[in-house]
Amino acid sequence: MLAAILIAIGVLATFFASNYQLRLVYSAFVNLIVVLGLQVFMGNSRLTNLSHSAFMGIGAYAAAICVTPVAMKQIALPDAPWGLNAFALDPVTSAVVALAITGVIAFVVGIFIVRMTGTGATIATLAILVIVHSIFLYRTDIFKGNQAFFGIPQVFSLTSIVVLAVVVVFIVRGFRESHWGVMLRASADDETGAAAMGVHVMRLRLIAWVLSGLILAAAGIAYAYFLGTISARPFYFNHVFLTLAMLIFGGMRTVTGAVLGTFAISFGLEVVRWLETGPTVIGIDLPEVLGLSGVMLGLVIVLTMALRPVGVMGDREIEELFYRNR
Amino acid sequence: MLELSGVSKSFGGVHAVRDVSFVLDAGEVRGLIGPNGAGKSTLVNLISGLLVPTSGSMTLNGTSLTGKSAHQRARLGIARTFQNLRVFPSLSVEQNIDVARYAGSGTALPEAAIEEFGLRDKLTLPANALSYGDQRRLEIVRGLALKPKVLMLDEPAAGMNEEETDALGRALKWVQRAADCALFVIDHDLKFIMTLCDRITVLDMGAIIAEGSPQDITKNPKVISAYLGEEVGAEA
Repeated sequence: MLAAILIAIGVLATFFASNYQLRLVYSAFVNLIVVLGLQVFMGNSRLTNLSHSAFMGIGAYAAAICVTPVAMKQIALPDAPWGLNAFALDPVTSAVVALAITGVIAFVVGIFIVRMTGTGATIATLAILVIVHSIFLYRTDIFKGNQAFFGIPQVFSLTSIVVLAVVVVFIVRGFRESHWGVMLRASADDETGAAAMGVHVMRLRLIAWVLSGLILAAAGIAYAYFLGTISARPFYFNHVFLTLAMLIFGGMRTVTGAVLGTFAISFGLEVVRWLETGPTVIGIDLPEVLGLSGVMLGLVIVLTMALRPVGVMGDREIEELFYRNR
Repeated sequence: MLELSGVSKSFGGVHAVRDVSFVLDAGEVRGLIGPNGAGKSTLVNLISGLLVPTSGSMTLNGTSLTGKSAHQRARLGIARTFQNLRVFPSLSVEQNIDVARYAGSGTALPEAAIEEFGLRDKLTLPANALSYGDQRRLEIVRGLALKPKVLMLDEPAAGMNEEETDALGRALKWVQRAADCALFVIDHDLKFIMTLCDRITVLDMGAIIAEGSPQDITKNPKVISAYLGEEVGAEA
């Protein structure tokens, strides 16, 4: 059902949207994949992750470095070490390599993260975000820092991202209902109780963490393959905050919540950005309010946390909503 | 089958469990009684691996349990319920049972146990929508889904009325026959323990002060002075 909704949005956008709107819809789909990747870990283990944009960045840069033609890289990265600017792979191989690299990094980091609980895990993931961002920013010979890393072949279209998002929805939903997903959610409800029932809590957390890392990498690759240029800035705090707001608003415990939150906030932000410019609404001149989008995003998080901490969807997936209404 | 030798646990200077040794035979129903603070729940936590003993060792069918974590012990066949309920509230009743089924070896018994404990019509409900008694029963069925060699029940009759307690006693008798597992039962309701158990172990101040059949225990002068004197006197 979720898949059908996603495809419908994709088809509508293809036929009716302007170029600018098309880019917005595309970025909403990239964010959707990020939020789904976040949901796989946070929703099932209920530990907070603030480093997700960093893993998206690792995937994006790894793919970009592999796929960009040698001639381009000689200009963009003249001082790259280890012969990084002397080879180029096709997009599919590059994506596989990028996924593998992100997966290995996520695994190694995850070994430490899954041993922590509560505040400890949250702060540690924040530290990872800062570490990765610093590396992107200051190893300019490899990542170009805040300057654009350009020349990435633009092989992705809106159709490709819709297909990818649908596949990811099925993966994330499948994980939630799988043996692993059910056991992990049990451990989030009651870690001691789950351990006493034979659940290896840390191993399951690690599985969800690595799966999350891979989905985030896929989002990063899709982002790079569509825009053709990337830089360090989009993989930092603003993006962490934006996607977190989407997940929290929709409800992190369900896949439906992730989808709903992403599109509601994406659409809401566009309205807010339009209000920011001080438009004329039914004859009334509204003042220009810069920074309104940041305020609104913060408010969404605060209000959701205060009024409905489980998000709009709570514990229910869209199908369960329909069964119950019958 | 389950063998404890010289198991002790101290928290700081407090000796919660002192030098406890006993053998639990396959299929037996053993009661564990003792005054409040005698160390009964601590002992169950030590056996299930939630606490690490200060000294002593345990084996299950000859396999040492030393250094094994809670989830490893559960997979070896040590299941338990909790005094303060620990059902998984955001999961359905069926998923609660499935968690143990997935983690363990999986078994056909839960179907019969679900029937016996009256949860058949409640499988799709969220676990936190169940009544207190049903949550207790769910914990037992969930434990059975591990296909345990020993199932430890920490005050299974707490908060139940007499009728419910009788029904629980009958259901546990059924478990003993059908599940081929030993039961290790802590409870304050002496009538419940006396009618259910083959043997009873009495714990006081962390140490075993008596062990024997229900008849022997009620006659044991040490038990009477430590525990039964007041309680039985008060109830009789």
